Amino acid sequence: MVTKKQLLLVIFGITLLLVTGCRRGQTSDISDIGLDLSISPDPPTTGPAAVVIQLTDEAGQPLAGAKVELEGNMSHAGMTPVFSQAKEIEPGQYEAPLEFTMGGDWFILVKVTLPDGRQLERQVDVPGVETR
Amino acid sequence: MSSEMIIQLNEKPRRTKFTAGDILTWPLIGPFLRWRYSRRVMQAGLLLLTGVFVFDGLVGPVQAPKNLATVSAWVHYRGLVVLALLVAGNLFCMACPFMLPREAGRWLGAKLGVQGNVPKVLRNKWLAALLLVVFFISYEYWDLWASPWLTAWILVGYFLTAMVVDTFFKGAAFCKYVCPLGQFNFFGSLNSPTEIKVRDAETCAACRTKDCIAGNRQTGQRGCELWLFQEKKRGNMDCTFCLDCVYACPHDNIGWQVRLPLQELWFDPRRAGIGRFSQRWDLTALMVVLITAAYLNAFGMITPVYALQQAISDQLNATSELPSLLVIFGVGFFIVPVITLAVTSYASRLLSGRSREPLGLVVRRFTFALVPLGFGVWLAHYAFHFLTGGLTIIPVTQSFLNDVGIFAGQPQWQLGQVVPAGWLFPLQTIFLYLGVFGSLVTGFQIAVHQYRDRHVALRAFIPWAILTILLLLAAFWIMLQPMEMRGTLFIGL
Repeated sequence: MVTKKQLLLVIFGITLLLVTGCRRGQTSDISDIGLDLSISPDPPTTGPAAVVIQLTDEAGQPLAGAKVELEGNMSHAGMTPVFSQAKEIEPGQYEAPLEFTMGGDWFILVKVTLPDGRQLERQVDVPGVETR
Repeated sequence: MSSEMIIQLNEKPRRTKFTAGDILTWPLIGPFLRWRYSRRVMQAGLLLLTGVFVFDGLVGPVQAPKNLATVSAWVHYRGLVVLALLVAGNLFCMACPFMLPREAGRWLGAKLGVQGNVPKVLRNKWLAALLLVVFFISYEYWDLWASPWLTAWILVGYFLTAMVVDTFFKGAAFCKYVCPLGQFNFFGSLNSPTEIKVRDAETCAACRTKDCIAGNRQTGQRGCELWLFQEKKRGNMDCTFCLDCVYACPHDNIGWQVRLPLQELWFDPRRAGIGRFSQRWDLTALMVVLITAAYLNAFGMITPVYALQQAISDQLNATSELPSLLVIFGVGFFIVPVITLAVTSYASRLLSGRSREPLGLVVRRFTFALVPLGFGVWLAHYAFHFLTGGLTIIPVTQSFLNDVGIFAGQPQWQLGQVVPAGWLFPLQTIFLYLGVFGSLVTGFQIAVHQYRDRHVALRAFIPWAILTILLLLAAFWIMLQPMEMRGTLFIGL
């Protein structure tokens, strides 16, 4: 038989879980991998853009041979995301085309599969894409 | 045998025969809606869905476009509500999931013996109008559209408020005096093509029990909680389409009937549970807030608003977005409407030659002429979001189901638009033209019924027609601006 105290503890636990968040969709990170992202044109405007991602390993050396995918999305609901696959243009440097379909606040999810199979996903905010 | 006795003897439903203009007589949908528990079934379905949205909002993806709470609340709910109001009526209130916590509150309040009447000072729309203003400012300040977590907590807060209000107050206090969503639906349903109303006035005249308002003692069915006595009810204001009156009426004399949209705005009769529109400043204020918010809410999404915010912030030396928002909303909600309505009413009174008529009466009477255009702007705005992003609910649902362990296939993230992009502007234009046409017709009809003389009415109508056209141009200006949906970062630091 569940006592009142136990019931309260369960309710408290669920509430705590909901409030503090046990969230899906949070980006996963491998903290010792460096990721820098730059967008051209800068500041970004609506239309085609080039996204350059610089990956570095634990020692700060360029990280070559990774698979890099991008997902661009707006900060508000109801817009179709844009996807792109990056090409390695020199060791540790990857470039991908991305189209900003509307002005406003965007974020880019960078999904990286390292040569050793480890995966990381980072979110980079791109606020204030201007309408051209 | 008296007419009362005849009616008492003929209590069996007499009007199940199909009538095209009465939805309650339609096959399948009619019997379902006339079933006393149909509304509970709809409410329970929506409650379940809302529970899922809240769950995803609290523990799901942090990104708004990937979360059921934000997608459903800010894309689907708003779009479907305005489209339903346009083609049918107040369907959301009919199936409102917040009714269930209200019922729980009512039960609790009765059990604890703490229920009382709503204080007289609160029996109006002032609180609801204020809550709407606060909501629209909060929406911009906290970027509610971009936060699943905040969206979920708004839903939770709504449930709790509905429950608490109805724990302490009798009747449908939450629906009638508090609920901002309900007020929007009442406003929108003034434009709707259907209404819950009596089928045969003579039957009502002969009825002595008035179950539609008093409740049916034989079945235990309550009457209208919003004090809309069917015999004197005119139009959709305050009607939640709950069908309590339909279930309570022992003569099956209330239907869900097709009507001429907007016609209820032309006249100003004493309405049950409401009184005359022209005597209600609070109702006028509510209409002004909702008409103005249609513009401000759309204005908040276009490029020029950021330049304006920046300029205001620079002037105020502000390091927060709040001062500039308060200035924009203060001017938008209060200063512009007060000046515009005062000037237009003054010109209208001057041209009509009725200089003794109180200016306030002209404002209160004619503000309702702007309701159709205001609704048209809401329609153009919310339908845009729904039509551009309606299908995003599919991949978001797939992603949710996959994450909770129910295989739903690879999320189809490429899905988004409901209609081709080329249709959007023509559709928005149609909605705005419908609104302006409705406002012009309504304005003229209000003038005709107010002044009785067509020449006087035409003169009085001219300033309102000019204001309507100016408002249409303002709506087109907003619509033609490039959209720029910001919110996650204030740049005016």
